[in-house]
Amino acid sequence: MRFLRRALVALGVTGLIAAVLRLRGTGGVPPQSGGWRELSGPDLR
Amino acid sequence: MRIAVLGAGAVGARTARQLASTDAVESVQVADAIGRRAESVADAIDDRSRVRAVPYDSWADGADVVVLCHPGGDHGALAEGFVQAGVSVVSVSDDVDDVQALLALDGAARRAEVSVVAGAGFAPGLTDVLAAHAAAQFDGVDEVHVAKVGTGGPACARAHHGALAGEATDWRDGVWQHRRAGTGRELCWFPDPVRAQDCYRAAAPDALLLVPAFPGVSRVTARVAANRRDRLTARLPMLRPPHPEGGIGAIRVELRGRRGPVREVVVFGVMDRPAVAAGAVAALAAVEAGAGRLRRAGAAGLAELVEPVPFLAELARRGVKAAVFEGSAPGL
Repeated sequence: MRFLRRALVALGVTGLIAAVLRLRGTGGVPPQSGGWRELSGPDLR
Repeated sequence: MRIAVLGAGAVGARTARQLASTDAVESVQVADAIGRRAESVADAIDDRSRVRAVPYDSWADGADVVVLCHPGGDHGALAEGFVQAGVSVVSVSDDVDDVQALLALDGAARRAEVSVVAGAGFAPGLTDVLAAHAAAQFDGVDEVHVAKVGTGGPACARAHHGALAGEATDWRDGVWQHRRAGTGRELCWFPDPVRAQDCYRAAAPDALLLVPAFPGVSRVTARVAANRRDRLTARLPMLRPPHPEGGIGAIRVELRGRRGPVREVVVFGVMDRPAVAAGAVAALAAVEAGAGRLRRAGAAGLAELVEPVPFLAELARRGVKAAVFEGSAPGL
């Protein structure tokens, strides 16, 4: 019984850590300068 | 030319409307598994001399080109029948199995001298045209990285949900790499007002369409934007029914290559409602196929089949406008 309880706790803690690692943080740094310019005229000839 | 559209959802309705506003199109016949949806699309366009709803069991009769806008899964099998009948096919499906099945029809389509345009939507589709346009600025293309945010109608939302739980297919150093979808977080910068979004690997067919278009390319990847709830619930059934149509979406195409001795990066993007842009791309692809203006017969994506500059110019005239990123970004 005690073994089963410990196994379940271990699985739960592992799952919690995996969920936190999977969901937190971001994937990088946004551009530091510049921006978007619509393609027009000479860009489409 | 006479064009038949199967599927009267968010993309099919926009495709039919775009076709109805094209002078070269004599007639547009729209069908859907739910007949009243096709009728309401035809009624809304209100051009009865050219646009009509037709029965589901005879939806493609007399058509020169067929556009498959219904949910993915059987696009390859349907297209095979049309190729044998000598009818060109345009498919908007972003389902990996559909795209593989459509590309497998290349030999049969070449022999029949018809075209099968695979992945003719927002992404894949417009992303392929942007990649072809960017490639013209290089002497050689080394890497192509595609990212997408947003969904069209309910079928697109379901596909997006499933894509985050599947297997991503990337091209790296001459071999296909399969990795778990929902991994590989990368912050991608899309045109305003979408801006920065975390994007992840997904079961997307973009690499299957782009690798043949750029011989010698060493890396091709595709990512989709997802929030925490999307990723956490990706392997479960959808918790809520999908919305009738998503909001603003965007695509981003980054090419890395060589111009002379210099390695350079070009980033193109588009911001629009995904279903609106996909409808415009599919309609224009169908018109190009019907007019015989595609580069070759056979099955391929738009990067191989269309001239990007006139295609993008016509899309811009229809309100779907591309943009280029100018400035410095990490890794550029």
